[in-house]
Amino acid sequence: MASSVASKRLFQEYRTITNDPPEGITAGPVTEDDIYVWEALIQGPEGTPFEGGIFPAELKFPKDYPLAPPTMRFTCDMWHPNVYPNGMVCISILHAPGDDPNHYEHASERWSPIQSVEKILISVMSMLAEPNDESPANVDAARMWRERRSDYEKMVRDNVRKGLGL
Amino acid sequence: MAEAPSVNLFQAIAILLIGYFAVRGVLSFFRSPSSNSPSSTSAASGGHRPAHNGSRVNPAHVEQVAQMFPQLNRRNIMWDLQRNGGSVQATTERVLSGRSLEVPPPSFQPILPQPSTSTPTRPASSQPRKPSHPDLITRYNLSSKVSSSAETSSSAATPSEGTGAQKRPAWSANKAERQALLQKRREEMILAARRKMEEKDKAGKAS
Repeated sequence: MASSVASKRLFQEYRTITNDPPEGITAGPVTEDDIYVWEALIQGPEGTPFEGGIFPAELKFPKDYPLAPPTMRFTCDMWHPNVYPNGMVCISILHAPGDDPNHYEHASERWSPIQSVEKILISVMSMLAEPNDESPANVDAARMWRERRSDYEKMVRDNVRKGLGL
Repeated sequence: MAEAPSVNLFQAIAILLIGYFAVRGVLSFFRSPSSNSPSSTSAASGGHRPAHNGSRVNPAHVEQVAQMFPQLNRRNIMWDLQRNGGSVQATTERVLSGRSLEVPPPSFQPILPQPSTSTPTRPASSQPRKPSHPDLITRYNLSSKVSSSAETSSSAATPSEGTGAQKRPAWSANKAERQALLQKRREEMILAARRKMEEKDKAGKAS
């Protein structure tokens, strides 16, 4: 029962995001045989070192979606303060309320069933443009972003080119 | 006078006991490690969970979690894996959801596996130590389309993606067609980005 709610909701979100995709985002299930695993492509925001890049990520939804948020993992080289070295994205919208050990995230920013895949992807896109220095998932990247911004930007730009096979 | 309170006391104890056993499953997650040693946990849960000791946790699982989260202590990882029945996924989700792992009691002394890599400290170079991912062209098998699109873009300003590209329906009632359309949109997005980057390179060289 619960899983049919989840799959219906995911299917509906798939249709919405297909018919009216946000700028620079393509997302959908890897295969419809398993609607709980999606792949998203996110375009790097303009005016940032990520500009021009396409960043693939995998979203995994729990069976009790939308009560619980999905997890999101970049499947490309992603050098960013809020992305773990293994690609896992650490952002408040992916955290359920009540799971805030640091007490800096507002409840409104966190996951709730009124959020959606589209909102997650848009949030992640703006996260690329503006890292949150308060909760570094990648301490090295956070330090580089803070102290050696030009090195950070070069690294990101190199990854952009590498991702496009250039 | 003396009888009534004693009955109430028994009732209260009975209710407390029943309530305790009824909700302990639900609350087990929040129990502090000090209130239950590992042995009492496995004994009380009636053997549906095997009685672990430190060595029962699969070292490969510990290693897997440790590689994902280099900041975590292996002992804490083992403790969490042991408590959730060895589920890497449960531990991963716990960490990702921001709940920190419990600190195991001092009596928990597992045989810590040798870290496979030298040390999970800062890499000497600025390169992150992680497996490199294949680029998108390789991943989506687009190498043939890359060269052809590069030629089109050099001859024509706008690459021809077929007439009426804008009007093409994004959603289809047919599952296979839907899948194909999604695939096509992904490929177009990647190829367009690559073309743009190549053009930028050319412009950069020309100036």
